[in-house]
Amino acid sequence: MLRVGLTNWARRKSPWVLHFNSGACNACDIEVVALLTPRYDVERFGILLKPTPRHADVLVATGPVTRQCAQRLKRIYEQMPDPKFVVAVGACACSGGVFRKCYNVIKGVDKVIPVDVYVPGCPPRPEAIIDGIVKLLKEVGG
Amino acid sequence: MASSREDETINTLRERLGQGLLNSWVSRPRRAYVHVRQGSHREAISALLNRFPETTISTITALDLGGEIELNYHLWCDGTVLTVRVTVPKSNPVTETVTDIIPGAALYEREVFDLFGVRFTGHPDLRRLLLSDDWPSGQYPLRKDWSPGAGLPLKAPPSRIGNPDMRDASSIVNVVVGPQHPALHEPERFLFKLDGETVLDVETRIGYVHRGIEKAAESLMFFQNVHLVERICGICNVAHTVCFCQAVEEIGRVEVPPRAECLRVIIAELNRIHSHLLLLGVAGLEVGFETLFQYIWRDRETVLDLVEGLTGNRIMAEYNTIGGVRRDISPSIAQTILREMRNLRKRTSFYREVFESDPTLELRTKGIGRLRRPEALKLCVVGPVARASGVDSDIRRDDPYAAYEDAPFNVPVYDEGDVWARLMVRVDEVAESINLIEYAVENMPSGPFRVRVARRQPEGEALSRVEAPRGELLHYVKSNGSAYPERVKVRTPTLANIISFREMVKGYYVADIPAILVSLDPCFACTDRVALVDADSGRKWICNLRDLRSDRWRKQP
Repeated sequence: MLRVGLTNWARRKSPWVLHFNSGACNACDIEVVALLTPRYDVERFGILLKPTPRHADVLVATGPVTRQCAQRLKRIYEQMPDPKFVVAVGACACSGGVFRKCYNVIKGVDKVIPVDVYVPGCPPRPEAIIDGIVKLLKEVGG
Repeated sequence: MASSREDETINTLRERLGQGLLNSWVSRPRRAYVHVRQGSHREAISALLNRFPETTISTITALDLGGEIELNYHLWCDGTVLTVRVTVPKSNPVTETVTDIIPGAALYEREVFDLFGVRFTGHPDLRRLLLSDDWPSGQYPLRKDWSPGAGLPLKAPPSRIGNPDMRDASSIVNVVVGPQHPALHEPERFLFKLDGETVLDVETRIGYVHRGIEKAAESLMFFQNVHLVERICGICNVAHTVCFCQAVEEIGRVEVPPRAECLRVIIAELNRIHSHLLLLGVAGLEVGFETLFQYIWRDRETVLDLVEGLTGNRIMAEYNTIGGVRRDISPSIAQTILREMRNLRKRTSFYREVFESDPTLELRTKGIGRLRRPEALKLCVVGPVARASGVDSDIRRDDPYAAYEDAPFNVPVYDEGDVWARLMVRVDEVAESINLIEYAVENMPSGPFRVRVARRQPEGEALSRVEAPRGELLHYVKSNGSAYPERVKVRTPTLANIISFREMVKGYYVADIPAILVSLDPCFACTDRVALVDADSGRKWICNLRDLRSDRWRKQP
């Protein structure tokens, strides 16, 4: 992790987030989007959802990772500039969840890319996702 | 006994097929089955189409019987779900396609081909639908003798994008959209073929979220499966559980108490309101009206609060179970629901005004992405997409379940068939759902809210249909007499509607693509990373959806 004070300060104040669904049922995804809406409003932490991996600091990944998505997820992670962080949102993203025994899933985001923060829940409440991201920011700030 | 509609449908087939019809029976009102001789299914379906031109296909369910594969064509025909059953030998699974007489069957045949390995001769485009690109050939996961081997190797996806046939004329550009998107929903990929700014054709690749739920359902007990089917879709989870529970209740001949049926209406309609508001907000976002998105999603939070008050969960309701529902409604929650519904009604009429009169929305939605009634019928689209094209169908009214039989509600139908009509249908449906919830709360029958049901279910099969927020949802469940189902087949409304995207988008501009896609309300709404490929030089450049919206997409970095 880069330990330059100013960069870290800036990063902590405005983490740009990319969301990727790797085969989730949409429940976690709509909760991630709900974060942007007036009640939760994560923009007050400087968090912005970005449409491209090249602008993102944090990858919010949902879903148990299907076979078809695994390589795409890896590619998206590789496109993000360093230093980069991954938050696995939802029981599926943490461990495969209820889809653990399905033939077409890889059972969790950490089987494909390194994960920094796990947010369990099916789906986790928006408050829990905020908590996960704030914990990550504390880590980043050192 | 007077000849019923079901018998009339079966008689139509008997006259035409004669000895080709092996067996026929009616399991309950509006559910009829015919077993036809191998190879006669085409004749049967064309006979039905001649007699009832508005017949549509819901899906094809395949079952592995050991030596043979059974194909069930579920048709909605003159107010009856008619299942045409035919078997093909497993050693040589080849049968004739029906896509030329009923084009809506194209994706269902591809699904059966992908998961069971049945080849449909004469199908124009029999390719993989759900499994990943690197799936080994000759492996059919839903066959009974297939089990997930020790780690199928993962390979990198092919670097070449798209279909080489599309690289023909010099002015034509291929635009690849997906599989990753900026805001919500699933990864999906589209290959658009453009001439200048006009869309000539589109090729869809789905299957990025295929998890293999139908196979997993066979290794879980009925009661466990309720939780699994809930997670097929996080947005319309209630529709899935209602549908699955009804199918199992029909197999087990369980009488659901009236109070539970009424509670199911309340939770299903709350679910519909939340899903429609979600979509209307995203539609606002996609046409560049972000304020509308924030407004609508703020109101959606009150609906989620009600769901939480009633069920304990915001999104995954976990409310239905086999034999009823899991929690009763308390008087204070009932009062809160009534109060919030009054507020929401005011907001809905405001949104209706916005959608009707806002000039931005009008420019971006009216006359865009048109799907005419004949095409809608031919492609067998369902739900709000069908109703916006003048097809007056709603499962809640035509094939009533839960407590919908007595509930008063209107089915909004628009004839325009454009993006605007598809959004307006949903605005009107929110208003109807509010009425339904108020009616259900005020006319709640007393009594128990669930009955105990045995874990084992008797042998049998049932077909259950539910009007999910996106249209007809169908679950087919077969039981072999144990606590585990023999087969669970799910046909979600998006699979029925995605086939019409090609018709809608042809001839419109690139900038209309997000609006048209979102008006379908697929379980994936927006498009993110767009790679533009010049067919001449093979040069690629990337732009994002925001650039696409703001018309900067032609600029190269």
